[in-house]
Order: sequence, then C-alpha cells, then structure tokens
Amino acid sequence: MNKPKVAFFDFTSCEGCQLSILNLETELLQLLDIIDIVEFREAMSEKSSTYDIAIIEGSFSRDKDLKRLKKIRETASVVIAMGACAHIGGINSLRNNQTREGVQKIVYPDNPALYETNKKALPVSAAIKVDAFIPGCPVDVGEFVKVVKNLVLGKAPGLPTYPVCVECKMNENTCVYELGKTCLGPVVRAGCNAICISNGGVCIGCRGLIPNPNINSQKDIMEKYGLDMNLIMDSMNLFMTEENKAKEV
Amino acid sequence: MTTVLNKQSTKDGVFDGLGRALGEYKIAALTKKDGKVLFDYVTDVRKIEQDYTPTVLSPKKFFFPQEEVILEYTFDGKVTAKTNPEKIVLFGVRPCDITGIKILDEAFSESHGDPNYLSKRENSVIIGIDCKSVCDEDAFCYRVNSQNPESGFDIMLHDIGNNYSMTIMTDKGRDFAENYFDSSLFDYAALAKFNIEKKEAFAKAGGPWEDLDNLPEIFEENSNHKIWETEAERCLSCGSCIMVCPTCYCFDVIDELALSMKVGDRLRRWDACMLRSFAEVAGGENFREEVENRVKHRINRKFNFLMKKHGQSVCVGCGRCVRACLADISPVTIVEELIKTSKTLKLEVKNNNLYLPEKVTITRIEQFTENEKFFEVEFDNGRSLGHEPGQFVQLSILGIGEAAISISSPPSYGNRFEMVIRAVGDVTNKLKTFKTGENLFIRGPFGHGFDEKIQKEMEGKHILYIAGGIGYVPLRSLINLTLKHPEKYEKLSILYGCKTPSARMFTDELEYIAEMRNNVEILETVDISEDKWLQHCGLITELIPMVDFNPDNTIAIICGPPVMYKYVIQTLKKQRLTTNNMFVSLERRMKCGVGKCGHCQIDDIYVCQEGPVFRFSDIENKEEAL
Ligand SMILES: Cc1cc2nc3c(=O)[nH]c(=O)nc-3n(C[C@H](O)[C@H](O)[C@H](O)COP(=O)(O)OP(=O)(O)OC[C@H]3O[C@@H](n4cnc5c(N)ncnc54)[C@H](O)[C@@H]3O)c2cc1C
Ligand code: SF4
Ligand code: SF4
Ligand code: SF4
Ligand code: SF4
Ligand code: SF4
Ligand code: FES
Repeated sequence: MNKPKVAFFDFTSCEGCQLSILNLETELLQLLDIIDIVEFREAMSEKSSTYDIAIIEGSFSRDKDLKRLKKIRETASVVIAMGACAHIGGINSLRNNQTREGVQKIVYPDNPALYETNKKALPVSAAIKVDAFIPGCPVDVGEFVKVVKNLVLGKAPGLPTYPVCVECKMNENTCVYELGKTCLGPVVRAGCNAICISNGGVCIGCRGLIPNPNINSQKDIMEKYGLDMNLIMDSMNLFMTEENKAKEV
Repeated sequence: MTTVLNKQSTKDGVFDGLGRALGEYKIAALTKKDGKVLFDYVTDVRKIEQDYTPTVLSPKKFFFPQEEVILEYTFDGKVTAKTNPEKIVLFGVRPCDITGIKILDEAFSESHGDPNYLSKRENSVIIGIDCKSVCDEDAFCYRVNSQNPESGFDIMLHDIGNNYSMTIMTDKGRDFAENYFDSSLFDYAALAKFNIEKKEAFAKAGGPWEDLDNLPEIFEENSNHKIWETEAERCLSCGSCIMVCPTCYCFDVIDELALSMKVGDRLRRWDACMLRSFAEVAGGENFREEVENRVKHRINRKFNFLMKKHGQSVCVGCGRCVRACLADISPVTIVEELIKTSKTLKLEVKNNNLYLPEKVTITRIEQFTENEKFFEVEFDNGRSLGHEPGQFVQLSILGIGEAAISISSPPSYGNRFEMVIRAVGDVTNKLKTFKTGENLFIRGPFGHGFDEKIQKEMEGKHILYIAGGIGYVPLRSLINLTLKHPEKYEKLSILYGCKTPSARMFTDELEYIAEMRNNVEILETVDISEDKWLQHCGLITELIPMVDFNPDNTIAIICGPPVMYKYVIQTLKKQRLTTNNMFVSLERRMKCGVGKCGHCQIDDIYVCQEGPVFRFSDIENKEEAL
C-alpha cells in the first residue's frame, strides 16, 4: 500500500490539538506505518507542496487566510478539520456576537488596528469544503488515530452521532443535574468518553451538537434546574456560537 | 429442577465465607468507588456496602458488558471467537435486577444461544439480598410484580437481624452454601416474619396494576394515543433510559483494526433504540426517524412486544430510567402479573459459536452497473449453504465490518452461491477492491424465506413477481427456482422496473427468460429511457394492469426499494388481490442477524428471524412495516 501523505496546518487556534497529537508517542510512531507526515510545523521544519490528506487546526478568522485554505483544498484529496476551532469555530467564535472594533479594542486597547481580524471566527467549512472532522477541545487522541485510520482504510470516519449522556451513563457517573449543576451532555456529540463529567466537571459542549438535537427541551430542563435564559445561552454559546446561529435560521 | 432449600447463617458467617471464596471466585458487590455507590469487583469483603441505594447501572453489566470483544482475527484470515468466562460471585443483587437477569437469560438463550452472555452466566453464582421495603419513590417493582423472583439467582438472603435466612434455588447455590456458608439452625418463624413484613411494606406502596395481564392489548389499542406525542416532544433522544435499564439488550457490532493493520477485534457495544441512528438503513432512510416512534418502540418493548414473548412485564420497575430521564419521561402507567411457571432454561453454549464466520473464496466477479457487482463465492470447508430462497447471509470483511446480503442463487448450487452487492458504505465499498481468489467471511443463512410451505402454496397458481431495482436480486433465487419447472404453475409473470436501462441486472438471463414463452412472461419498465430502449417507460405500477390475472388464483411476490411497496400494494388491491396472497421481502438495518441486537425490529417482529419474507397480511397492521 502506498502510504498517503499527511500535512498539518494551523490557523486561529492555540495549537493545543497539535500538541496533544505529539504527546501520542507510541501511537504516533505506529501511525507512521500507515501515513507519511510531510508537513507539521509543531514537530518538523520541512514543507511539502504535495500531500493527500490535509489536517487543519484553527478557525477561519482572517480574509487573508482564505487563499491559503483554498490552496490546501486544491492540493489535498481529503481535508480534515481538527479540533473545536476548525470544526465549529470553537472558543474563538465567542466574540462573534460583538463588533469587530469592540473585539480589536479588547485585544490591543491602545492600537486596535494592529489586531488583524474579520468580524467573525468561523469553522473551516465556512471557507472550504471539509470531508471529515475530529471534534473536541483539544481533540481526543484515540479518536484522532481512529479517524485517520478509518479514512486510510476507506471507511467513514466513524464518529458517534449520539450524545455524551450515553458514555456518561456507561461510565456510571451520577448525573450532575442531581448534584445541582447543569450540563450540555444531552445535546453534545459523544466520543470523548464523557471525560469532563467522569472527572468531576460538566460537559460544556466542546465537541459540538449532535445531529437533530432537541434544543428546546434542553433549554427547558436547564430552566427547570434554575438557570435563567441568559445563563443558558451563555453556556450554549461557549463553544457553539456558530452552531446555535445555524439552528435559529 | 432442584427443590428449594432453606438454610440460615450468621451475617458474619456469610461475609467470612465470601472472604474465603475470593480464592476461587472474583466477587462483585455493592461498593464505593470515587464517591459513587455501584456494583464492582472487591478484593476485601469489608468494602461491601450493606445499605442499598439504587445504582446507576444494573448488574447486567457483568454478563453483558458495556463493550466486549466477541471475535479476534488476523488479516490472513485466522478468526477466533472470544468468550472469557471467569468464575464470579455476584453478591447483593436486588429482586428487581434478578428479575431483569431472568429476562435476559431467556432473551439470550432462546433459539440461537448467545455464547458470550451464556458462558459468563454459566460461570456465575448469583446471591441476592431481598428487599424488606421499597427502596425509593421512583421504584415501582410492586406494580409489575418483580419483587419476588423465583429464578435468576442461586441463593437469596433475607435479613432477619443477626442472621441471613437463605433460600437456595439451584444446585450451584447449594454447593456454594455448603462450601462457604456455616449453617446455623434454620428458623422458619423468622423467615415467615420477614415475608409478612415485606408483604405489608410493599402492599402499603400499592399493589400490582389491575390490568397488568392485559397490557399488550391495551398498548395495541392505544398506539395513536396523544401521550406518545406529548412525551416525545420533551425527549432528548439521549439514550440514558436505555443505558441504565436492566432489561435492555440492544447492541452494535463494530470492527476495530489495530494500527499494525494485521490483527483486529470485532466488538459489541451497548446500543439504544432511543438514539436516532439506531434504525437507519442505506440511503439514509430511517425507519424510526420520529422521536415519537422511538419512545413508542421502547415502551412497547417493555409492556407489549417482549411482554408477550416473556409472559411478564419486561420492565421490572427498578425506577432507573425514571431517575435518569432529565425530561421526566417515565414508564409508570401500566400493569402486569408474573407468568405462572418460568421455563427452565438451559444455560449451555451451543457447540458452534453463533458469531463465528466461515471463510469463502471469491470464484467470479462481474461489474453489473456502476455501483453494483455480482459475486460468486465458494465455501473453503466445502459445505453448501443450504438456504431457502429469500434468506440472507451476513458477509464480513475483517477489519471493516459485516453487512446483510441476500442470496441471489437458487438452492442446490453445490458449495457455491451468488450475491449482488451495491456499494453504499464501509463494507460494501471495500468490497469493490476485492478480486477473484480473495477471501471473505460468511455467517448464515439467516432469516425466514420462501419455505417449503409457501413453495407448495404457489403450485398451480399464477405467480406475479414484482421487482424494483436491486429487489430483483433476492427474488432471483425464487424466480430461477420456479423457472426450472414452469409447468408447475399456471403462469409466471415477472415485472421488473429500473431507473434506467443501464441499471438492469442479469441482462443475459432476462433475455433468456423473454425467449421462454409458453406460460412465462417478462415485462420491463424504466423510469428514464435511454437509446434503443424499446420497452415500457414509466413506474412499475403501470405494468400491473398489463398482466391478465385472476385475483382468486394469483400470488404476488414483491421486493424493491422502501417507497415502492406502498404503491404496488395499492395497485394490486385495486385489482382485487387480497393481502394474504401477497408476499413482501423487507430490508431493515441488521447487525447480529439472529434476533438479539434489536436493530431490525418492526414492532414485535424481528425481521432477521421472522423475515425478511412476510405474507403481507401478517404485517399490514404493523405501524412500522412499510
Ligand atoms: C435482509 C437484507 C438483505 C440485503 N441484501 C442485500 C443485497 O443482496 N445486496 C446489497 O447490496 N445489499 C443488501 N442489503 C443491504 C446491506 O446489508 C447494506 O447496504 C449494508 O449492510 C451496508 O453495509 P456497509 O458496511 O457497506 O455500510 P455502512 O458504512 O455500515 O453504512 C452505510 C449506510 O448503510 C446503512 N446500513 C448499515 N447497515 C445496514 C444494514 N444492515 N441494512 C441496511 N442498511 C444498513 C447505514 O445506516 C448507512 O446509511 C440487505 C439488507 C438486508 C437487511
Ligand atoms: S451528567 Fe451530563 S452527560 Fe451525564 S447523564 Fe447527566 S446530563 Fe448527561
Ligand atoms: S464532556 Fe463535553 S466538554 Fe468535555 S470533552 Fe466531552 S464534549 Fe467536550
Ligand atoms: S425496585 Fe423494588 S426490588 Fe428493586 S431495589 Fe427497589 S424495592 Fe427492591
Ligand atoms: S432518558 Fe428521557 S430524554 Fe433521554 S432518551 Fe430516554 S426518555 Fe428520552
Ligand atoms: S424501563 Fe425503567 S423502570 Fe423499567 S426496568 Fe427499565 S430502567 Fe427499570
Ligand atoms: S435482532 Fe439483530 S439483526 Fe435482527
């Protein structure tokens, strides 16, 4: 089998996903049996002009990135959006409800224009066609390996379409609602093995919504447990500003 | 059956005994872990919790774990079935969960025995602890009479102060008690007192529902009740209710290939009929797209479909789903009564493992259309498939997965058989890269096809085959069988419709059939005509009036894409054909193929077992059928 060439690219992000992958060590070495990594700024300096699979980290937030993204799309036969920023806009898109000028002022109060940015931070799919995504903030490395492996094998990426509650229950956690906290688990895509809840937290939705979420019922439940509408929207917007807009139209 | 034995032991005696058993058994019991109270393995019997609070998951997880490997394979084709029975003692299971285990015992041992579940069950000793009062306000065991199980355990302990009174139900339980529990003098009066107090406490909470026995009928009558809609509106399709239920046993089957790409596992993982993807089939069609239908299905499984099968409410009233559901959807509305005698079940593993596939070699491939290929395969072990027309096999590619595929060749084809496969997903796309001489794996044949009885019924009749698109493939097995002796029938009419002329399959055979004449006719149609197409252009329903048939002596046999059935059946009815003279072959999402995983279920019917071939009159009232 000819090993497909894989290149990593980063846009607006914290590069945490790439770091997670570098931490893979043994799996990463084994992964190299089935792929060739030709570009990975975090780990190597070579640059390649041909590759089969492009893995993009970070959201699309500057016009000037469009050209680079289009180039990647033209070169790669498979484009994967990796991590919440690339997949759904992620934390970056929190600012999308504010004006550009306002945001620039927050970043560089004295010289706002220095901060070059669009009005919005958007998922990569807002700029180019994306073939697959690996959700999460940061990505789950096991899932990263699984998606890459499945794509190399010619299978579908194999992400769950069911919500975090399924995994949370399999782990036999006490539901945080019983503990007086609220959680987005019922509408958020599983695959992280409910890691936040299993470790004493709640799900804040970094993996994005499941297909066909029952948002109304989720809101009713959060309301029933004592959150007011503003808090509910805040918690839903933390990662999913863009996804929630899509639900409104 | 063993006779019930009564013994008694001090509580200390029981725990000391468990401590000694730790050498021979793993012990699972109620214990604290990371602040949660749950059933888990303990290495120190002093860590066993005595006060019961209902756990998030039921102890079914020890026999049917959240995820387990059922097969291991190497890429050069060595396949090993995996069962890993360890000797365990499951201690402190409550009555409702024991009733749940009894139901799972029945489900996993009927017809094809499930080797993974049964081997674990066989190696377990179940020691229950009886409830003396109702555990919390969400529990409703007393409504469904699950608080007094008579099977599903080996020993039941009743708390009579410093002692446990023991009800020993099985030989396994007797041996265990003899080996590990000191027995003191058995005190009948103490047990009687316990039972009376228990009865009173439960009666205070309420008796069983008055109409417990009639629940299945009540459910049938109310399948369009408003409540389904109002409950569904709030449902998040989050699956929590299924995960926590002691009697849900749907699962998914997944192939996982190691990164070395040389070895892999096939595993099964809990699945849930409340999840949207559960009943999705190729082409994105979903037979339970609406939340309402999923809620209905889940609750009907408990109090209707499976209740009829198990003779008792399949909801054991443990209250777990009530506690778990954030949307406050609860099955508490219904009633039932325990069936008289529970069948004695043999918890034996059958010799040939149900999930173990057999190797076949591809002997011929033909590209039929852009996405459809014909495959002829031969069993390496020389056996013949021995199928009836209409049955299917589970075809698998190790590392990718399994798919249900109809058998297209007629029976008696030596050790070979034929299939036509459309590339739609993981397995079927991968298959495109396979060449003659390479190996695939097969389980089956499965399902209920056109058996001898139906074949006899067809004799002397006018047979109307109606095939749409790839539906010709499964029908071909029967068509070709009947074409061997057309004189046995009044007439054989084959109606075949395709999207375009180039989507037609088995074109040589079609030509051959067209030339047979006498009492054999073939009428074809296409939706969109291309060059040189001289036959009909239009929907397949337009062909039906072109056939001259006497509805009193005709049998119609229909197979095609999901949308086709409704219209074809309407047209046939207009020609006065009755539905008991129509047979349909239905395609559903399938995973196990043997009536276990629940993916193919239509109301109370498992398509993989009772179908895919049905007499239409048997299913026309099933809401989910078409
Ligand atoms: C009784 C029966 C007979 C069948 N006969 C044939 C046949 O002769 N030839 C043929 O080409 N196909 C047949 N099918 C359909 C075939 O089983 C599915 O197309 C196949 O399972 C898809 O597997 P995959 O791994 O390629 O797709 P996946 O990657 O698993 O899924 C791709 C799509 O197929 C759907 N799907 C998954 N499993 C099934 C399933 N078991 N049945 C239906 N849809 C499914 C998924 O929801 C998804 O939309 C039959 C199905 C049944 C139930
Ligand atoms: S804690 Fe969150 S994810 Fe877990 S069951 Fe409750 S709502 Fe679902
Ligand atoms: S539990 Fe929620 S927030 Fe945590 S990793 Fe999973 S999806 Fe992200
Ligand atoms: S539901 Fe009934 S049987 Fe089960 S633990 Fe509670 S009281 Fe006991
Ligand atoms: S737990 Fe409740 S909300 Fe979730 S799927 Fe079940 S019924 Fe629906
Ligand atoms: S349906 Fe609910 S109450 Fe009934 S057995 Fe299942 S989890 Fe328990
Ligand atoms: S029950 Fe598993 S496919 Fe029918």
